[in-house]
Amino acid sequence: MTRASVAATPPGAWRRRLFALGPYLLLAPGLLWLVYFFIWPAVQMFLMSISSGTLDTGFRVTGTLKPYTDALTKFSTQWGNSLLYGAISTSLDFLIGFPVAYTIAFRGGRYKNLLLFLVIAPFFTSFLIRTISWQILLGDEGPVLAFLKHTIGVIPVDFSILYSPVAVIAGLTYNFLPFMILPLYVALEKIDIRTLEAAGDLYANAWQTFRRVTFPLALPGVFAGTILTFIPTMGDYVNAELLGSPKTRMIGNVIQGRFLQSTDYPTASALSFVLMAGILIAVLIYARALGTEQLTG
Amino acid sequence: MATEPQRFNPDLTRRRFLQGTAFAGVAAFLAACTSGAPESNPPASISIPTPPPATPTPAPASPTPVPSPTGPLKFANWPAYIDLTGKAYDTGEYTKGSSPTIEQFKKAIGVDVDYVEAIEDNKTFYAKIQPQLQAGTPTGWDLIVITDWLAAKVISKGWAEAIDHGNVPNAVNNLQDSLKNQVWDKNNDFHFPWQSGMTGIGFNTKVLASAKIAEPKSLKDLYAIQSSKVSFLTESRDTFGLGLLKLGKSADPSSPTILDDLQAVHDDIKPLVEKGLIFADNSYLKNFAAKKTWAAMVWSGDLASSGTEGDTFKVPEEGVMIWTDNMVIPKGAVNKYTAELMINFVYDPKIAAQIEDYVYYVCPVKGADVEIKKLDPGAESNPLIFPTADIVAKYHNFQFLTDDAEAKLDELYLDLTGG
Repeated sequence: MTRASVAATPPGAWRRRLFALGPYLLLAPGLLWLVYFFIWPAVQMFLMSISSGTLDTGFRVTGTLKPYTDALTKFSTQWGNSLLYGAISTSLDFLIGFPVAYTIAFRGGRYKNLLLFLVIAPFFTSFLIRTISWQILLGDEGPVLAFLKHTIGVIPVDFSILYSPVAVIAGLTYNFLPFMILPLYVALEKIDIRTLEAAGDLYANAWQTFRRVTFPLALPGVFAGTILTFIPTMGDYVNAELLGSPKTRMIGNVIQGRFLQSTDYPTASALSFVLMAGILIAVLIYARALGTEQLTG
Repeated sequence: MATEPQRFNPDLTRRRFLQGTAFAGVAAFLAACTSGAPESNPPASISIPTPPPATPTPAPASPTPVPSPTGPLKFANWPAYIDLTGKAYDTGEYTKGSSPTIEQFKKAIGVDVDYVEAIEDNKTFYAKIQPQLQAGTPTGWDLIVITDWLAAKVISKGWAEAIDHGNVPNAVNNLQDSLKNQVWDKNNDFHFPWQSGMTGIGFNTKVLASAKIAEPKSLKDLYAIQSSKVSFLTESRDTFGLGLLKLGKSADPSSPTILDDLQAVHDDIKPLVEKGLIFADNSYLKNFAAKKTWAAMVWSGDLASSGTEGDTFKVPEEGVMIWTDNMVIPKGAVNKYTAELMINFVYDPKIAAQIEDYVYYVCPVKGADVEIKKLDPGAESNPLIFPTADIVAKYHNFQFLTDDAEAKLDELYLDLTGG
């Protein structure tokens, strides 16, 4: 009996059907992952953000908007710090990263792979260890300041960087630099060298070639790099915690504090949502300003 | 202090704060998210006495003749908070077989022990076990070690098993008098201390001398030092406890004006924050060495185990905060009798001395000072492990807050720390 039913479907049809399903089957692990680890928690977090209660009494979804009003009104300093530090360190990353990526892409020669490896080498060390190392580097008697204070004597002895905004921005800039360099490198590397030669043939000087050919062609990398850098710097709390003082806290620290210190999960969730929404809007505006067709083309 | 062994890494004490909790906290949040609808009506068997703190009547001792120990005993404790040997001595991380105390207990009782360094932070741990306790189901732990304010909370909610004093004669006889008579559990029906610690002023004498700063004797002195060279503690209760003492206010939580007092402490510290005060966990030891911090609010255990010359713990003139981490048997523990045997075991002065010789906190066990002399001569007269009577006279507790006061404390503390 079974043999008959198997024979009814020719083996070729199965294969075709499987082939048609193929893309979906290949998508399935990723989709399931997203549903379970992104969409489901996001829904949970949204429900938490409109709940009231405490850990002891339990949280109940009441539809309250208080967490959102708190999130938007109470933490202007920290929102401001996040935006400011995020913007400054992203800009610095761009200014530092572009020449590096450019050099590797166009002048790297046979050392390309080695140079790229050096860019990501710090990632072999834990994020925390790297940040804690900055505490030592920037310490009052650390290698940098001790040298400037005692060996050359150009700065006063009680000068201090650690626990200041400068230290936080330095940490952020350092920690996220590879996220800027790698996309820039990929974009620059893809540029057909003949377009640059053509620009030269058309009497463009080096600066004009860069401004009108190289940079526009590298825009997808600039876009990806700034997004990849700006988003994590905005939400980061480790640098502000370890290198900053209470005056330099960012919104990530507020979220951490609400989760861990006061177990005020609703406000923490609302803050996370506002942060996500804010970043999404910023990215959309940015994409529009930069011109999306250029990015995909 | 010179005879004390230098710990490989003094940062690895039980109070290392940031690294662990930052990530553990996510788990607690998820636990809160997935615990389903909160129980609106706790089961009738759980009595929540109002107003807390109150002591529920212990269950009448059951007349069962000699129970037999069951296992494995699920024991949750803080990192590096029991005697460790071998590789674990250096890393401060318990691995199976690395603690002589646990091994001796296994041998003596004949039951396996599942000892886990599961607690990095009271709040996070509480967030994990609270849903089960609320629902009246076992937490999966037989013995947990939690700080007094949390122990008080758990006990007042009726979420702790009564300890049968007949099974813990060592604990009943050897508990230090200064730790008896806690308002939240007067007769130790539900808890016995594991270790205590003092929160006071710390500094490095050499660093202070080179900066030409007088050694602070009181909290007033500490507040007067240039704020950018001072750190307070990342534990809100420790910072606010000393803050209360500095203002000459009672740290005793039963005081009805506590909310105003907390506000006053906040207002007292806020200007220092503006001038550059930071909040640190035991990274203050590093900061002393780097001359980044001249003086700080510190935990006694860190200074006791710090091998650095000049590191000093000072009992402030205004008083010193004492906190205690306590062994509690959570409601529904499967191996309750074995947990009692463990409490009894660690209150044997010999065992207590063995634990103390590694952890260096304030020892709750009478007679351990005599025993520790054999293991580590000099430790018996270290006032940070066996405080003298005049220090004990300055003890203040910060034990129990109403939910309102706790929310207020969190709010004020977060405002100070900028989080």
